Amino acid sequence: MGHIAAVPYPWPFDGDLRRENTALVVIDMQTDFCGKGGYIDLLGYDISLTRACIEPIQRVLAAFRTKRFPVFHTREGHRRDLSDLPDNKRWRSRRTPSGVGIGDQGPCGRVLVRGEPGWAIIPELAPIDGEPIIDKPGKGSFCATDFELQLRLRNVRNLVLVGITTDVCVHTTMREANDRGFECIVLRDCCAATDRGNHEAALKMVTMQQGVFGAVGDSRTLIEAVATGPRPS
Amino acid sequence: MSRFVVQAEPSAIAIDTARTALVVIDMQRDFLEKGGFGEALGNDVSLLSSAIPPCAAMLEVARAAHMLVVHTREGHRPDLADAPRAKIERGFPSMRIGAMGPMGRILVRGEPGHDIVADLYPRPGEPVIDKPGKGAFYATDLHLILQTAGIENLVVCGVTTEVCVHTTVREANDRGYRCVVPSDCCASYFPEFHEVALRMIKAQGGIFGWVSSSTRILDAFR
Repeated sequence: MGHIAAVPYPWPFDGDLRRENTALVVIDMQTDFCGKGGYIDLLGYDISLTRACIEPIQRVLAAFRTKRFPVFHTREGHRRDLSDLPDNKRWRSRRTPSGVGIGDQGPCGRVLVRGEPGWAIIPELAPIDGEPIIDKPGKGSFCATDFELQLRLRNVRNLVLVGITTDVCVHTTMREANDRGFECIVLRDCCAATDRGNHEAALKMVTMQQGVFGAVGDSRTLIEAVATGPRPS
Repeated sequence: MSRFVVQAEPSAIAIDTARTALVVIDMQRDFLEKGGFGEALGNDVSLLSSAIPPCAAMLEVARAAHMLVVHTREGHRPDLADAPRAKIERGFPSMRIGAMGPMGRILVRGEPGHDIVADLYPRPGEPVIDKPGKGAFYATDLHLILQTAGIENLVVCGVTTEVCVHTTVREANDRGYRCVVPSDCCASYFPEFHEVALRMIKAQGGIFGWVSSSTRILDAFR
């Protein structure tokens, strides 16, 4: 299909963009991160920031599904017995005005615990059959999961990263993927952070040093490429 | 925290129960029970089921000592998204991963044959690791769980000695865990592989770990 316009280089690096080698990764679009009564809401952050990317992601998701590109979803969360929750992560999560941290009962069930309402992916972006869901205990999607195994088995080389939050889980996943040789693009309007400055800074970091972690693009350009195929480069 | 000295080869080893986990590998119905997938392949499952009573004894002592107990199951997602083609294509088509076997789809999570045998069934609070490969560390959260619990030593039981137990012990050894393998708590469809696999663990001064037995470990805990 060729390259698509992106910063700081036309993506992917070699122009090899096909249904067979390119996957969409929707990161952590869970109630706990962007829903009313979820963990982020509970922390007092403005969830309109993290919700702003829902609609653009819906459009990208629709384009990928129509053209039968692979789609993966991730969910951050822990085993119900919290055996995969490091002490320092729990301690940090409880340093909030409410004192409610990971594993504790919140308005949407136990915070970031698998199977709880708050941990579920929001209905607007619910996975459909054939779209693997990666349950991850950390920020990165590769840590302690079978994500890399699944990508290799499907011969995926290019990753289109969307989701929340830009500076935390999207960035960690992008860094992990880059170190493993995956060619990544993050879509500016399809990710968000709890702090606008962090969102912008995280995107800028990607573009430094000729694209140290990959490239930054936008949903419109990518959807056009997926739907019609980009101009040959 | 209690400290025990366990007799083993190539030498005795002192273990703290608070820093030691019992890991029970793949004691699944399909491998161990009559009428399962293992038997359908022509294997004598009584060779494996002989490991169940010693494993049960190890579970009892580990639970009494409040040790971390971890169980593993080999198996794949129902859509086989985590099953390599090279693994699927091995064997007769009717006996392949995902095909319908005598106890449900072969090596597929959620099927009756994939579950752990009743005598060794996990209790609440004992993590179960669903692994797509032979090794329990590959593409799983086992290392994270062990690190979170401050574990340094593993007592590794289960089946089969030369395949999943060995791969897991090797992975654990490279990650810095001391592994003790009670010989009678492991088994293989091929007794000669069981024997030689145990010899490999304790060779060269214990290159992969220590070999002991359920009775010697029980003696140490008494």
